[in-house]
Formats: sequence, structure tokens, C-alpha cells
Amino acid sequence: MKRLKNNLDERQELELLRIEHYGMWFAFWALLIVMVVQAWMGAPMAQIAGEWIVFMILCIGQVIACVRKGIWDRRLRPNFKTNLLISLIAAFAVAAFISVRMWLNMSGDPDLLWTIPFGALMAGAFTFVLCLAALTLTSHLTKKREQKLEAALYEDAEDE
Amino acid sequence: MKNKAMKLARVEKDMSQEALANRVGVTRQTIGMIEAGKFNPSLRLCLDICHALGKTLNDLFWEEDSQ
Repeated sequence: MKRLKNNLDERQELELLRIEHYGMWFAFWALLIVMVVQAWMGAPMAQIAGEWIVFMILCIGQVIACVRKGIWDRRLRPNFKTNLLISLIAAFAVAAFISVRMWLNMSGDPDLLWTIPFGALMAGAFTFVLCLAALTLTSHLTKKREQKLEAALYEDAEDE
Repeated sequence: MKNKAMKLARVEKDMSQEALANRVGVTRQTIGMIEAGKFNPSLRLCLDICHALGKTLNDLFWEEDSQ
């Protein structure tokens, strides 16, 4: 199918990209907040599934697109220290969420209180390991791709 | 920083912003924003503007005190 002619000039194109950028991040945070609020209110997975699928497609699509272009982040660098820090933040956030959620579920039952730190620790540990693994893998792929793109540019320059 | 050199070159050629915009394939607002220093055009667009106004990149886009 023939694509319609682009009616925008380069300034308008940049403006539209900026608008789309804000739209994408609004969708990202709105979906995340909606899912957290629903989970907080004890909604079953079947109720959150729609948002979760859209959210995961959005995230995976963004990651694949960034890796293909060899781009990591505006401010953070793809190294182990940063990945560790981000994984720890994610682990603490999940552990805190699980702790409060379990506390509310148990209605302060003293016999079950011991399960809260255990549950939070397990959830936090799993989140930490999964986050660190995902970040390590994607940062490695991004660096590799960046090197490949740079080498291709260098070869092109050599040929000319 | 305002691009007075570009505005002057356009006026010397007796061209309106609209006419220059049509010539290089952008909107009048884009030309206005380049002259007002509110938009940095690509090198391709700079070259098109230079060709349309019969000037060089140095004439229109070089700033002595921009370092």
C-alpha cells in the first residue's frame, strides 16, 4: 500500500514526535498506576490482565526498538552499578507493596505476622534477581548493538 | 539568538516569509521561528535556505561569538 505524503516540515515533525513522546509516557505511567491501584484493591489477575498485556507489549516493544538502535537511556549508563541500583530500588518497592498488602489482608492477625517479612523478602528477592537479569541482558545487547552500528559506519566511511 | 542575517537576506531579495517557506518546502511559521532563533534547522534546510536566498552557510548561519 502506498504511504500518504508527509505534510509536515521538519519543525512540525519534531513537535509531533515530542507530543507522541509525552503521550507514550503518559500511557506508560497511567497503565502502571491503574494496575498498582487495582492490585492494591485486591482485584483478581483476570481483571488486570488487559492492562497488563498492553503494558507488557508497550514495554517489550520499547526495549526491542531501543536495543536495535543501540540506545540505552538519556541519563543512565548501561553498566553493572546502575543495573544493581535500579534492581534494588525495584526490589524495595515490590517488598514494601507486598508487606502493606499482606498486612491489610491479615487484618493484623498476630499469629500470621511472621509471614509478612518472609513474603516481602521473597517477593523482593525475586524482583531483584529478575530485574538484574533483564537489565544485564538488555544492557549487554545494547552495547553489542551499538558497537556493531559503529563498526558498520566506520566500514562505510572507509569504503568512501 | 535571532538570525538577523537571514531576515536581512530575505528582505534584500524582496521575499516574504511565506514565499521563502514555499520555496524551501516548509511552513511560514518555521521560517519565522528560524529568524527568531527559536528553532535550529537541519543542515539540509539551512542549505535550501541559502540556495533560495543566494547566500552561503557562513553568510546566514555562522556566529562569530557562539563559541
